[in-house]
Amino acid sequence: MQQHKPKKIKKRFRNSWITSLVNITLILVLLGMLSFVLINARRLSEYVREQIGLTLVLKDDLKEVEIIRLEKVLSLSNYVKSTRYIDKETAARELSEELGEDFTGFLGQNPLFSSIELKLYAAYTNSDSLKMLEQKFLNYPQVEEVYFQKNLATLINENVRKISLLLLIVSGLLTFIFFGLINNTIRLLIYSQRFIINTMQMVGASKSYIRKPFLKRSLWLGGIGGVLANLILLSGIYFYQTELFGNINTTELQIVAVVVITVFTLGFVISLLSTWLVLNKFLRLKFDELFY
Amino acid sequence: MDRKKVIKLSNASVYQRENLIISAIDIEIFEGEFIYVIGKVGTGKTSLIKTLHAELPLADGKGEVLGFQLESIKDRDIPLLRRKMGVVFQDFRLLSDRNIKANLSFVLEATGWKRKDEIEARVNEVLQVVGMTEKKDKMPHELSGGEQQRIVIARAILNDPEIILADEPTGNLDPETSEEILDLFIRLNKEGKTVLMATHDYAVIAKHPARTLICAAGKLSDSEQNKSMIEFEDLLESNV
Repeated sequence: MQQHKPKKIKKRFRNSWITSLVNITLILVLLGMLSFVLINARRLSEYVREQIGLTLVLKDDLKEVEIIRLEKVLSLSNYVKSTRYIDKETAARELSEELGEDFTGFLGQNPLFSSIELKLYAAYTNSDSLKMLEQKFLNYPQVEEVYFQKNLATLINENVRKISLLLLIVSGLLTFIFFGLINNTIRLLIYSQRFIINTMQMVGASKSYIRKPFLKRSLWLGGIGGVLANLILLSGIYFYQTELFGNINTTELQIVAVVVITVFTLGFVISLLSTWLVLNKFLRLKFDELFY
Repeated sequence: MDRKKVIKLSNASVYQRENLIISAIDIEIFEGEFIYVIGKVGTGKTSLIKTLHAELPLADGKGEVLGFQLESIKDRDIPLLRRKMGVVFQDFRLLSDRNIKANLSFVLEATGWKRKDEIEARVNEVLQVVGMTEKKDKMPHELSGGEQQRIVIARAILNDPEIILADEPTGNLDPETSEEILDLFIRLNKEGKTVLMATHDYAVIAKHPARTLICAAGKLSDSEQNKSMIEFEDLLESNV
């Protein structure tokens, strides 16, 4: 009977730490998902914007060598992501396939020009850059005409901007809420020991000595929470990888690494920071103030 | 005889938050003295003791305890002051989350004791002084009031303090236990420690008369300066 009581207390005490650990883990999972969405949002917007293409219609009497030289110059520039040369014949074949009939036989000749299709890097796809690039390409002697869908570019840019802004506001708000939740969890843990903290001060323990075990425990809390949250996130990413990465063929591992590191760092930083702040508050309070 | 002054308050006031409890206190306490602080409930006995161990700030006047200036003591020096005095709290204030042994070794570890065997030896030593050796594996809430009181006294003498401040140490104990606790303090006093004890247990004072400070009507009077009050019966009638 006498053995039972302390065990029970210890168990209850441990339970409160486990509850906090679960809390922090879940919040970190949400934070991880948020950072995952944010990182991907940027990649997705880049992906969409890089679909905006420019077509350079070439002059009719160009030599093969000159076209190859132009293509090389273009692909060496820092705004062009990819180039594709379409000669007259290919253009005709592609158009025939699209139309479903062979119009060259019907016309007796091929009226199409050779062209180079350019895909630009996302940073160069806003309307201003596009206008400047158009001017630049038109100055090339080999280029007859520059063609791109102005309206589509504007529309895509406008939508991407709106969605990014909304996402940024929402994630800012969520991050704030998550910080608050973890802070509350830790505050409760320390609040439950406020009298003990006060007594420690009364018997001559220095503030830093009192802080040490609390900070150590919150390091564990943040660390274990981070590991658990990452395990949950990683298994989620593993099981849904086709849905998540299906159409973006980039460095998925890099994204995952960024998420894992973010979750880890935030776990440590948030739990340490709030432990520090809350502890200092209770270390400042006088005994009589602990009852409120 | 040139005795060392351990506590000196001059024109000091004791506040509990914004409320002035006792004003114009002028006392000097010397090494090895045994002193009672008496007074009705709410006259400031506890506040005076709290002021002496810097739990309450000294807002008015000057105060010196064991070489620390109370009116200007820095936050980081407060632990150093408390290490030189032992405080026996009215409400015990044991660390409720750990057993008696851990309660006592915490104090030693917090005050810079490093070696496990030395800590254990000292803990056993003080437990023996208060006669509680068998209880060291108990949790505080498993002990009776008198037992907890003894543990608190054991805790107070761990670091061999020069002053022991005791706030109603016999407050809620039966007469027999009170006497045992008092004997403990007398023994500690004979070993050379200064003991300042707040009490309203006059049986205690009758058994072991000593210099007495009386809290009444916002003032603190000293039985040594006011010899008419030394008669215990008078004191009972006139002041308390």
